[in-house]
Amino acid sequence: MMALSQLQRAIQGAVGRITGPRTVSAFKEKGVLSVSEFVIAGDNLVSKCPTWSWESGEPSKRKSYLPADKQFLITRNVPCLRRAASIEEEYEAAGGEVLLDNEDNDGWLATHGKPKENNGAEDDNLPSIDASEINKKNTIQSIPSYFGGEEEEDIPDMGEYEEADNLIETDPATLQTTYLVANEPDDDNILRTRTYDVSITYDNYYQTPRVWLTGYDESRMLLQPELVLEDVSQDHAHKTVTIEDHPHLPGKHASVHPCRHGAVMKKIIDVLMLRGVEPEVDKYLFLFLKFVASVIPTIEYDYTMDFDLGSSST
Amino acid sequence: EVLLEMLRVGGVSKICMSSVDEGFWHKLSSLKLNKLRLDESPIPITGFYAPCSHPQVSNHLTLLAESLPADSDDEPSSLLASQGNRNRCPVPGILLNTNTLESFYALDKQSLLKAEAKKIWDDIYSGKVEEDSSVLLRFLVISFADLKKWSFHYWFAFPALVLDPPATLVNLKPASQCFTSEEAESVSSACNKWRSKSSTADIPFFLVSIGSNSIATLRHLRELETCQNNGQKVLFGFYDPCHLPNNPGWPLRNYLAYICSRWGLGKIHFFCYRENRGFADLGLSLVGEAEISLSQGRSIGGRSHQNMPNVVGWELNKGKRGLRCISLAKTMDPTRLAVSAA
Repeated sequence: MMALSQLQRAIQGAVGRITGPRTVSAFKEKGVLSVSEFVIAGDNLVSKCPTWSWESGEPSKRKSYLPADKQFLITRNVPCLRRAASIEEEYEAAGGEVLLDNEDNDGWLATHGKPKENNGAEDDNLPSIDASEINKKNTIQSIPSYFGGEEEEDIPDMGEYEEADNLIETDPATLQTTYLVANEPDDDNILRTRTYDVSITYDNYYQTPRVWLTGYDESRMLLQPELVLEDVSQDHAHKTVTIEDHPHLPGKHASVHPCRHGAVMKKIIDVLMLRGVEPEVDKYLFLFLKFVASVIPTIEYDYTMDFDLGSSST
Repeated sequence: EVLLEMLRVGGVSKICMSSVDEGFWHKLSSLKLNKLRLDESPIPITGFYAPCSHPQVSNHLTLLAESLPADSDDEPSSLLASQGNRNRCPVPGILLNTNTLESFYALDKQSLLKAEAKKIWDDIYSGKVEEDSSVLLRFLVISFADLKKWSFHYWFAFPALVLDPPATLVNLKPASQCFTSEEAESVSSACNKWRSKSSTADIPFFLVSIGSNSIATLRHLRELETCQNNGQKVLFGFYDPCHLPNNPGWPLRNYLAYICSRWGLGKIHFFCYRENRGFADLGLSLVGEAEISLSQGRSIGGRSHQNMPNVVGWELNKGKRGLRCISLAKTMDPTRLAVSAA
């Protein structure tokens, strides 16, 4: 299986070299993007959702068909307040999913599809996440004994801070709580949460964008890619989400495999057109990120530009 | 008692300030193998930071592969990459990478910290801060890179000049409660304009001046006297990486040291600029009023440059003073990589 996928990758590399990057638009016909359309869509994402920016990545990995300063898109330090499994339970209960593609079991789940009849909330987004509730659930109550108290260390003991601080460094200010000084907040409600760097590259073989995830634990230490799978919808965790080399960054990263992206995007575009909405190529990444949200439901990256999916005409 | 409680919430937060991208360690490894070898001299590096952009998490000072200098002269220029943008304001720092764990532990951390703080202190007096305000955020990293085991020991320090007596926080509120609605709208749009213009987007310290017509303008620090002469209301603004509703983030400390030492101001308003999803959010941003004892300020100007204040700043790891360690054997060890690819 591994050997096969390597072979496949080699073939894809060769095909990529022979055919070269797509230059003719097939956005509406196939749901794919040409290189220049990717740049246009990326520019639009960066201007509408400014937490995203273009980066150039490793100089040695630069792709000549993309501008040097626009090799890929990234948004860093995106919170992921809880694991995907817990959200799925709630979701099933709410009945808010539709299968976009039911030809085979590779189908994509859309969280933005039609809710079941008795579900009043129309075009609902992700279940709302109340920060204080999460905080209680994940930080305070979950001190599992099987980790031998390791978790407990993650919860800062406020008493230790100042004491430790004064061991080496003398900061007279810390003794005076009325002064404006560097001390740890007394507030116990500091949310410790996983965070993600989410990046979008251009996949030359599938001619679609591709999403990559780099995870960090609660103290901003690199998360092993396997643990990233906990934040991926379990329907995708071992099929469409794989761990591979990033095309522009060092190391192994989790990625949503792009083999079905074109087909899914084509379906979304068809639905829009049926509803009388003429899809514009510069909005491609907004549509794309909304669909990616079904794969990584708990990672709160910026796809905020709310735009009409065309529901008004039906 | 109530008063005490209210004031206590103003402590400058310094939780979890640093973050290191995997690419940084890969680049450091190749730099050490190809260029540095046994050279232990300090390496100038660039850290990146941005204002808080999500109500639930703070931002960090981040090290990326581009933070390090090129490892050979003919490598394509990384100049492009080290340029800032709105999501990565470049901050100067120093990396000390030792050859052994013993020499890592033997480093005189207190004098290293002092030496970096001295640069900040000098930049305050020389006027360098007005040219490039990011020097107020200078940082230091010590590390030991074990290239046999692909593990990295490191420790960050963010030197903070200790005002003595310390500054007092008189008031701290969400910015939305401190402006009239006209002012708030104008402040928001001025901030968004500053953040979207490539020439100002990565400048982390600035002035917010509000005229009697409620129109707010963002200005460079060097324009302070102009604002004061025009009788405008002035706030000292900075990109605040912290998300906590009752705590300004760490850049405020050296900012206050700068304000009182350079400008001799005893009572000022500051503005902790924060965003939500990339746009100014005055509900998350804070406005505070600080009182700084002038005995250390301009009144003794000439002498005070000689007398550098105390310095603190070694980063805490999980609430304790201590180094961090990361193992990248899984992604760097060629034998493991061969096994996983087979």
